[in-house]
Amino acid sequence: MRYAAQRLVQFVLVFVVVTFIVMVATRIGSDDPARDLAGGLVSDAQIEQVKQDYPYLDKPLVVQYGYWLKDFVTGEWGKSYAASETVVDMFQQRMPSTAFIAFWAVVLGLLIAVPIGVYAAYRRDRAFDRVSGFSSFGVISMPPLVIAVLLLYLVVVRYGVFPTVGRSRYVAPWDNPIEHFKNFFIPALTLGLGLGAVWSRLLRADMILTLQSDAVMMARAKGISPQRVLWVHALRASILSLMTSVALQMSALLGGAVVAEQFFGPKGLGERLLIALQQNDLLIIQAITAIITVFVVFANFLVDLLYAVVDPRIRLARTLG
Amino acid sequence: MAETLPSITGTTAAIAPVGVAEPTRRRRLPSLGVGFGVLWLATLVILTVFAGNLPFVRLPTQAVNGASNYALGPSSDFWFGSDRLGRDVFARCVYGARISLIIAVSSIVVGLLVGTALGMICGYFRGWIDRFISVFVDALLAFPAIIFAALLVGRAKALRQSEIEVLGFGFGWFNNTWAISAVFSLLAIAPITRIVRAQTLSLSQREYVLAARSLGARTPRVLLREILPNVVPALVSVMFTGVAILLAAEAGLAFLGYSVEPPKASWGLMVTENREFIEEAWWATLFPCVMLFLTVLSFNLIGDRVARRFDVREAAL
Amino acid sequence: MAGTGKAHLSDDGDVLLRVEDLVVEFPVGRTGLVVNAVSGISLDVRTGETLGLVGESGCGKSTTGRAIMQLPRPTSGSVTFEGRQLTTMSTSDMREARTRMQMIFQDPISSLNPRRKVRDIVMEPLNIWKRGTAPERGDVVDRTLEEVGIDPMRAAESQPHQFSGGQCQRISIARSLVLDPSLIICDEPVSALDVSVQAQVLNLLEDLKARHGLTLMFIAHDLAVVKNISDRVAVMYLGKLCEVAPSDELYRIPAHPYTNVLLASIPVPDPSAQPAAVVEVIGEPPSPVLPPAGCRFHPRCSNAQDRCRQEEPQLRSIGPGHFVACHFPVHDGTEAVAVRAPVSSN
Repeated sequence: MRYAAQRLVQFVLVFVVVTFIVMVATRIGSDDPARDLAGGLVSDAQIEQVKQDYPYLDKPLVVQYGYWLKDFVTGEWGKSYAASETVVDMFQQRMPSTAFIAFWAVVLGLLIAVPIGVYAAYRRDRAFDRVSGFSSFGVISMPPLVIAVLLLYLVVVRYGVFPTVGRSRYVAPWDNPIEHFKNFFIPALTLGLGLGAVWSRLLRADMILTLQSDAVMMARAKGISPQRVLWVHALRASILSLMTSVALQMSALLGGAVVAEQFFGPKGLGERLLIALQQNDLLIIQAITAIITVFVVFANFLVDLLYAVVDPRIRLARTLG
Repeated sequence: MAETLPSITGTTAAIAPVGVAEPTRRRRLPSLGVGFGVLWLATLVILTVFAGNLPFVRLPTQAVNGASNYALGPSSDFWFGSDRLGRDVFARCVYGARISLIIAVSSIVVGLLVGTALGMICGYFRGWIDRFISVFVDALLAFPAIIFAALLVGRAKALRQSEIEVLGFGFGWFNNTWAISAVFSLLAIAPITRIVRAQTLSLSQREYVLAARSLGARTPRVLLREILPNVVPALVSVMFTGVAILLAAEAGLAFLGYSVEPPKASWGLMVTENREFIEEAWWATLFPCVMLFLTVLSFNLIGDRVARRFDVREAAL
Repeated sequence: MAGTGKAHLSDDGDVLLRVEDLVVEFPVGRTGLVVNAVSGISLDVRTGETLGLVGESGCGKSTTGRAIMQLPRPTSGSVTFEGRQLTTMSTSDMREARTRMQMIFQDPISSLNPRRKVRDIVMEPLNIWKRGTAPERGDVVDRTLEEVGIDPMRAAESQPHQFSGGQCQRISIARSLVLDPSLIICDEPVSALDVSVQAQVLNLLEDLKARHGLTLMFIAHDLAVVKNISDRVAVMYLGKLCEVAPSDELYRIPAHPYTNVLLASIPVPDPSAQPAAVVEVIGEPPSPVLPPAGCRFHPRCSNAQDRCRQEEPQLRSIGPGHFVACHFPVHDGTEAVAVRAPVSSN
């Protein structure tokens, strides 16, 4: 597990660097962090209160960062003075929306990508392959904002099923699955279309290589049916690169979720982060960015471990180490 | 061993210098696509450069009498219609293109210069300097770029309003156009550094690099004469796809409220300004979207063609 | 085998290159382990001779060649070339001294920069050292290209991929010649080429050697190739030397069990020849990360005894110019040869 430990150290390092950069960035052009922390337009008494709560604010940035990191790791996440809500409350309220958008986006992306990618690879250079290749290239060239506008214009406005601009709200699937679907389908599709396009191309290219490999030839030669070879043997070999791409897309996905949330709702972490950015609400910015970074870094860590388990070369290197 | 393992965002981020040649698929289509891309970009560049001199491009900020409140749809006079304030959507699209393109192209140029230098240093010298730079690259790639950009552009506003001076100069000139370009340059550096690093790592193992060193070439000569020319094809392709990505990012950023200051126009800002009225006036939202899409598509088509031409494969930027 | 020792080094004044106790180690990732690529090799090359260096893949022969060029600098040991110590020189002095020593690589495609014109590639050494004026450089390059059989006109406008593998190797040779070196280290220069082309390139090397008074160090895994071109041959196994002998003698009466195995593995173009029954080798070469104790060949050697597992053999003389690092050689130079390879008729 020495390999896992090495990767972990590297990921922790990345987390520290990201959160430190964010802290430095929040202080650009700010001469009074206590006022920022208090949330801008507040009374002197409140600022005094902040200074009491955070006595280290006049120390060098590195020291401040040390305090912040300690608080973050020990779960002392503090509260937003401006919005008078604790960070923990804020997460409980906001996290589910963002998580559901991202989750459904990945699910939709895979639902789009797997059949298209596999079938295009199987029927390579036929009509289906060309049409899907052409359209996926087009979709990749659409920024999330353009997809959002198209969905708005072509679906939401025409058919009254889905809530319009900014009107989606959070409904838990276990409370009301239908309402949940109505509120989350469009924002998730905004991101899922792009992911599906990227992944279908990735899967197609990967599957074509796999289908040409000796292992697949062997499976065919042994008399396993083409369908089974395609869906079981070949697809399984390509799952790993797909997983890698899911992890790779994680930061882009969360960035896209911010746009989708802002466009359609439901209001989640991204919307809260934007408000915090406008007020330079330091604690909220730090907390949300830290959580996002943890997610991205953790996803990549998992994929790395998965690689190490599956890929014999890395396993070998690990044994040697 | 460290080099053979997937780095933090995975092995596929790297370009395999000798990729698996994509065989004859869609042989005709790329050339058609590239033709379209070049034509579209040329038109766009001519329009934006000569916008002030062309009689059919109105001023982007000037309201036209009687055209307010989306009064005019697309017509022979107002090609793309008018927006809520009675401004010509076509003119705003053209001037928006100017700002969007300047931001994207200048950022990618800075990103290429710095990223190539850093990537070659990392890949050639390896060791501690590689690890040091790579941690920052990994950090930049691990965090959603659009949020980072929003944060920094937001702070640029605070910086502008503050009294802070560097070398006796204030930051009054540092408007959002500058800020976005600066942030995008920074964001472009990370993936380019990673790509160039991977290429340099593999190229520096080639025997012609060893040959050059055995002939007595100094390190700068090896880097500039032997390695750089072999990195360039990948960089050309990265340049085009990179511009496409930055154009999309600019639109997203504008939507989040961190665009150029009104009444200046950028495509993303136009979408943001008009999307709530898409039912009454689709033209004010859809035309900028179409412009954005066609431009991103053109850059992607050309980048894809270049990548195929030089047999460069990239999985992610 | 796997011997250290310097008994085989000559005292003559005409030694062009002397390598003593050369050690090259590479770290394995950040694990703290090292690959013992070369573990204490001593060699000398006399002016005007061709020294063959053979061994199977991964035995460290290419690493030895590169360490002699100081690319990268060896972990320890000394390299003396034309009377000057390369290993202790400053980097800039070494760059200068190294121009008298050149290298030709195995892969003809990879050893030429694919994005430059062939003539520029050959001119590059002169540009690096700013030798002569531009027209003079051009003359030298054109003359050298013609000498190796490449049309200078074509070289001026073509890139390496427009030439065949054999032609690329000729271009590499031309590049190594323009600085007028005294020693050329050929690192498997023909093993990537078709057999029919191999002979042409080997003949070219012989010609050039005679014409320019070159000394060659010829690294290969194929004994058949080395045999014809070399005056002396050194056999390597897992980072150590096994046997050093004049070419004829090594092929006629190999003393080291490993040399025997290598010779026996050369296919004989005679369908009626009987395979040499006695010669056998067990298993794969061990990992250079954890080399065996004692003689490094003992786990695969059919003659291995307890002493081989504990004590590392030193190179010792068993005949004029014939040295072997083995406790129990196949013969010790005096008696008749009991076991020999089928090519012994040469």
